[in-house]
Amino acid sequence: MDLIFFKTAIVFYLAASAVYLFFLVSLITKSAPIALWSAATGFALHGLSIIHRAVLCGFFPLGTPFDALSFFAWFIMGLFLLLQYRVPSPVFGSIAAPMASVLMLFGSTFSYQIREPLVPILHSWWLPIHVILALAGNAVFALMAIGGFMYILQERLIKNKRIGRFHKLLPALETLDKINRHGLPFGFFLLTLGIMSGALWAGSVWGFYWSWDPKETWSLITWFAYAAMVHQRIVLGWRGKRAAVLALIGFVLVMFTFVGVSALLGGHHAFTGAAGMGAVKL
Amino acid sequence: MSCEVLLIGLNHSTAPVSVREQITFPGNQDGEVAHRLLSVEGVGEAIIFSTCNRSEILSVAEDASATTPRLINAISLINAIKPESFMDHLYVKVGTDAVRHVFRVASSLDSMVVGEPQVLGQVKECYKRASAVNATGPILNRLMHKAFFTAKRVRSETGVALAAVSVAYVAVELAKKILGDLRDKSVLLVGAGEMAELAARHLAGQVEKQVTVVNRTFENACVLAKQLHGRAAVMEQIEECLVTADIAITSTGSCETLIKCAHLAKVMRRRRYRPIFLIDIAMPRDVEPEANDIDGVYLYNIDDLQSVAAENMGERRQEALRAENVVLEEVAKFMDWTRSLDSTPTIVAIRQKLETIRQSELARCNGKLADLTAGQREAVEMITRSIINKIAHDPIAFLKKTKSRPKRNLYLDVAQRLFDIRGPESDPDSGEEESVEK
Repeated sequence: MDLIFFKTAIVFYLAASAVYLFFLVSLITKSAPIALWSAATGFALHGLSIIHRAVLCGFFPLGTPFDALSFFAWFIMGLFLLLQYRVPSPVFGSIAAPMASVLMLFGSTFSYQIREPLVPILHSWWLPIHVILALAGNAVFALMAIGGFMYILQERLIKNKRIGRFHKLLPALETLDKINRHGLPFGFFLLTLGIMSGALWAGSVWGFYWSWDPKETWSLITWFAYAAMVHQRIVLGWRGKRAAVLALIGFVLVMFTFVGVSALLGGHHAFTGAAGMGAVKL
Repeated sequence: MSCEVLLIGLNHSTAPVSVREQITFPGNQDGEVAHRLLSVEGVGEAIIFSTCNRSEILSVAEDASATTPRLINAISLINAIKPESFMDHLYVKVGTDAVRHVFRVASSLDSMVVGEPQVLGQVKECYKRASAVNATGPILNRLMHKAFFTAKRVRSETGVALAAVSVAYVAVELAKKILGDLRDKSVLLVGAGEMAELAARHLAGQVEKQVTVVNRTFENACVLAKQLHGRAAVMEQIEECLVTADIAITSTGSCETLIKCAHLAKVMRRRRYRPIFLIDIAMPRDVEPEANDIDGVYLYNIDDLQSVAAENMGERRQEALRAENVVLEEVAKFMDWTRSLDSTPTIVAIRQKLETIRQSELARCNGKLADLTAGQREAVEMITRSIINKIAHDPIAFLKKTKSRPKRNLYLDVAQRLFDIRGPESDPDSGEEESVEK
């Protein structure tokens, strides 16, 4: 019963994904709102699941990869639902909902057992600050990548003059570029704060701010990548397709830093290990 | 040997603009050239159609196959151009085909943008010029009025006219898909073609900024700019205009490409890669087709827009088919009429009519004549018959005597009217026939 909300949320996300995909294939307009409602319900249940976890844990439930991935998916769905007001496109949902589902299914492969007693280092206010900032930044980048993907799709359809029904389902190019334009500085700001908060946390606990842990290194690489993107966009005026491609590349880096590094390269953000995430490597 | 409707000409689908530009029948502003064509042997009536997309001579000829080369000669003389340079692009249509072609042109079925409304006005203008100098006769007068009537039917009975509007609609929808909200976007019009104006009008309703009109002749730009509540600019400013515009519609149709890729690449840098939607309506194209590959440039020509519009409305083809049927119906009616325009059937019909009157009048008086002897009866028959023969003699002799084709057609037509032997298909649209009486 521990994961009742979590599991029902997954069911709703999967249902939303299925209905969205059904909509794209069948183009039965009535199905799109059903998918959206399913996604929204999933999001609400997902929120309950996080609260439930917090109650069980007695603190912010962010200490395990299970929770981190779940939180990440929750942010993505939240941003997607928020964006529905401005960019109502079922295509958006048919990428965001499966993405959240996959992240949650991936998260559920990790142990959801809350370690008792909680590693002392994780019982700090730095934990929610650092993790929420970093994950929110990642979620913004995820949405930018989805927007970028749709941009490339839509631009290809328009350039090749294939103005069919699928073209109509996709938002306008300028609208999609707007996601990038507003998302980029916002996400970059969150990422910067996320890295800084991590450094400050490390400084307060271990006495040094930076230790070239793999996660730190890759975060810095990601940060530079997005800094370059901000530069290209603001100084050189890059936009449209180039910005969309960069958003996709950036997101690959983000995902590698977030999941790949922890899983493959270890370090004190590692998913596995004797004490799990946050174990002091010293 | 009866006379035939003969049409010789070329249009946007058979001839490149370089050829079309050379055959414009200069000096026909007041129909003078059309009148001069009457001096070509065998030609009885003539109208010159000259619009930006077509140059055609519509005539009534005694012997079509013999008259055709003479008319081609006349075209080459009037336009001061060698026959070889346009022969390959010509089409020659005779009889039913010619009539059908004229009806299709007037109904905007032969237009570059099918259904565009301006062509009917242009055709009417050409006809007015020819009839002002009496270059038209009964056949072409009737043909043209039937053409206008057909155009009216096509417009009201089929959705073909909507097709042209739908092209403009597609342009607006695409602009929205590229540029998002159109309210703060600006429209640039390069050249002032019919369809460009139509599209610009649709777009102007969506944008709040002023429309800019650029044209080779500044005065024309000013006129159109005034109509669209926009501003005019000279051709030299085109690069500046492209930098500021979000949607550009080009329709100059000049022989060389107006906007080249290198040109646009420079413009895009200056725009800081803001996307631009180019709509190229000109034929030949004003914008290099490869420009579509430049990042941020979305180039659509009129064919692209039309095929999108066609996809949008599945019934469009059906509408065109219905329009063609309307045309065929009207062509058949017209051909029936031309066949009747022969002296023999008309004379026969006049005789028949008089004979019928005689018979029926005799039958009415049958009671009063009952007492007559057979001889007296015969006398009455003879007297009445000779009366109608005497009455009919002069008109019939006159009809037989008239040698000149256009005159004979006119008299036959008048005779048919005077004796009311038009047959059942007497015009429902006779209101349109004032000038036939002229």
